[in-house]
Amino acid sequence: MSLKSSRTKLYAAVVIAIIAIAAIGGFYYYQLSQGPPVKPIAVYSYVSDFPDLDPSSAFEDEQIVLANTYEDLVYFDPSKEQPLQPWLATSWDVSTDGLTWTFHLRTGVTFHDGTPFNAQAVKFSLERTMTLGLGGAYIWDPVKAVNAVNDNTVELLLKYPAPVPQMASSQYAAWMMSPTIPTNATDWFNQGHDAGTGPYMMQSYQKGTQLTLEKYPNYWRGWSGSHFENIVFRVDRDPSVRLQAVQSGDADFTLDIPVDLLSTVQSNPNVKVVDSKAYRNLVGMINTVRAPTNSVLVRQAISYAFPYQDVIDSVWRGHARQSTGPVPSGMLGHFDDLTQYNLNLDKARQLLVQAGYPNGGFSLTLTYTSGDEVEKAVAELYKAQLAKLNIQLDIQEMTTRAKYALARGDPSQAQHIILFYWWPTYITAYDFLFNLFHSEKKHIFNFAYYNNPQYDKLIDDASQLEGTNTPQALQMYKQAQQIVVDDAASLFIFDQDTTIVYNARIQNFVDNPAYIETIFFYNIWETKG
Amino acid sequence: MQSGLAKYAARRLVLALFVLLAVVTFTFIVARVVPSDPAELYVGPKATAAQRERAQLELGLNRPLYVQYFDYLRGLLTGNWGISLKGHTSVLRDILTYLPATLEIIILANVIAVLVGIPLGVYSAVKKGSLLDQGGRLTAIAGVSIPSFWFALLLQLLFFGTLHILPLEGRLSVIVAIYYPVKTITGFYTLDSLLTLNFVGFVDSLRHLILPAIALATYPIGLITRMTRSMMIEVLRENYIRFARANGIIERVIIFKHALKNAIVPTLTVLGLSFAYSITGAVLIEIIFGWPGLGTYTLNAIIEADYPAILGVTIFGTIFYIVINLTLDIAQSYIDPRVRLT
Repeated sequence: MSLKSSRTKLYAAVVIAIIAIAAIGGFYYYQLSQGPPVKPIAVYSYVSDFPDLDPSSAFEDEQIVLANTYEDLVYFDPSKEQPLQPWLATSWDVSTDGLTWTFHLRTGVTFHDGTPFNAQAVKFSLERTMTLGLGGAYIWDPVKAVNAVNDNTVELLLKYPAPVPQMASSQYAAWMMSPTIPTNATDWFNQGHDAGTGPYMMQSYQKGTQLTLEKYPNYWRGWSGSHFENIVFRVDRDPSVRLQAVQSGDADFTLDIPVDLLSTVQSNPNVKVVDSKAYRNLVGMINTVRAPTNSVLVRQAISYAFPYQDVIDSVWRGHARQSTGPVPSGMLGHFDDLTQYNLNLDKARQLLVQAGYPNGGFSLTLTYTSGDEVEKAVAELYKAQLAKLNIQLDIQEMTTRAKYALARGDPSQAQHIILFYWWPTYITAYDFLFNLFHSEKKHIFNFAYYNNPQYDKLIDDASQLEGTNTPQALQMYKQAQQIVVDDAASLFIFDQDTTIVYNARIQNFVDNPAYIETIFFYNIWETKG
Repeated sequence: MQSGLAKYAARRLVLALFVLLAVVTFTFIVARVVPSDPAELYVGPKATAAQRERAQLELGLNRPLYVQYFDYLRGLLTGNWGISLKGHTSVLRDILTYLPATLEIIILANVIAVLVGIPLGVYSAVKKGSLLDQGGRLTAIAGVSIPSFWFALLLQLLFFGTLHILPLEGRLSVIVAIYYPVKTITGFYTLDSLLTLNFVGFVDSLRHLILPAIALATYPIGLITRMTRSMMIEVLRENYIRFARANGIIERVIIFKHALKNAIVPTLTVLGLSFAYSITGAVLIEIIFGWPGLGTYTLNAIIEADYPAILGVTIFGTIFYIVINLTLDIAQSYIDPRVRLT
């Protein structure tokens, strides 16, 4: 190989490279100029990706997508006098024994592949979800059978009474899907397909980063008026990136922004920040088995030693409220007039004297989730107060898994106090009251190990009445809540807000806490300018 | 030679199978000894007792561990790598979905590393002690010692934050994803967009590749520069180089044809290993650039204790490593016939 020929080759390579770059550049600008006119797009910058987009088994945050592509039989709208709004079902009725529910279906609705929505589709959807038995499917436990009475009527037969319309409005495990999906469709769904009746349908999915929806032209509510044509969900794990995206106009919605960052955008006219009550609270379950918190007096004493207001003011800067009992405010079944513990160290000392600990002198362990700055601050503030009573609080930071593993072991060795958040699958107070305090054979979430037959009976009976006699059920829920509050089976710390940061040009946006962090994009539009 | 090579490859493959078996066994045991409740993860936290029991049966968790182990081995061979407990999806399919994204950045990063590292190493060696050499050595040291995630943030600050010329993160811009969607053929967006003549998609995906690839290239650049430099210095001292010079062969030919060819073999090995490592080791870069790759997938699997996913990624990484290693050894014997394959 002579030097000359190698040089010639080099020149040839350079020339070819230049031509290739020029050609690609030329085609790039040509294709751009030929592209379709840009239509209105809404972008939602979200915290995490979507582990499972299967409408039967999704149980993480996928509802933020699925609620735009799928629909329930019933829509839960807390802003209405009667929150259970007819949706894919136009009306429903129940037999006098509460064991047969009949749903009358909307006609003229089609799935995204054109398949008509009918009683067979309802039967298919519910049976698929129940057969898979994953995620939120447990809510259908009361259902014995689903029958298609005729094309537009479905009958649900129950093993025991349950509030079926509430269940049918769930953000998990209640979506209606087309019977035309492939068998074993989970992988198919997770490659970016959908089979719903909702206003939008899946356009493309890059697992882990971005998911785009396009409008479904034959949507049953029609497309007159202003609507977005495309919806984009992008995954931005870092809060400052998310906030920056909305401020710069790259994204229209985001959330889960730390409060100190939030204050930096409050004066920005292009950005709106809206707080709404979330159906989510932080509890500090108190071990009722292990000494010394097996004494109700000790539990009450340490409930009086918690700095509730400090947490609201300094940790949340007002984006939360002190809890009253286990059901968060804003939710049906929440009562403002239950007893509320407040920071009162004198009262705490008196209770400790009665309990036989006149000078404190014991130590308690508290576990919280590693990486959760709010839980950490809560724990530190609490430690400072307990120290004034000469009670030492050992704070242990643990992964969620380790924390629950410890709590699910032997209660006499488990932590005295465990911090965690709770939110419901479908909107019922029973979800809080059952999971947190109903007696259990195997410990799942009742980490107070609370065991009170009177309480169990009250909430179980109330749950069965909820579908047919709501006012009485609510009164029973209230009575039950007063019992656990008096027993101080948990610290009731705060009810959280959902704080959504969004583009100020967006119109008609209202948060619906029944569908966590979900934006119903069909309802909103953007003004020009 | 040919039959020798085939024999060698066959022997190495047999050995590799044992390595793989050991890795599978070890990971399987570790993943299952760690306290966790796979059935609960699979079925969801609020499931009823009946649903839990059914999940136990479905996942085969009620059977003795050794039976589960042999079942798993059988599944591996038949392409059934288990179901992710968290996403309920096929693990092998998930890995293959995430793989192209990772390969795309690590291939580009390593190409950059070779294009920068080898010339830099060669010139450093040839002009030993010069300003260029000092600069080259500094670059090399910086490359191997600067934390790549920190460098990645600096790149973002400069090229996105200040200059606004490159995108912050992701694989495609929002507008491009909607109006010029890249049809997935291989999963490599740059390749797929070219194959479908989608030039807007091509330019956009290339722009998204640049920063993560540069950030990921810093370490191999340093490694290659240092390796090439020291090997070149050694080779240039050899008698045959002096002989070539005495024969009046042009210096450039001596350097690139005679010296570099001999010096490059160890560099290739190092490069191969760093390449194989980044298949799951690029997690920090992936997270900073919102890049949906295997590193992110692995991290999520570990956090969730999603043991079928952890096992799958580990086994996949092992296979990848073994294949790269074997390929390198064979490539070496082609470049340098003195390398004996035994």
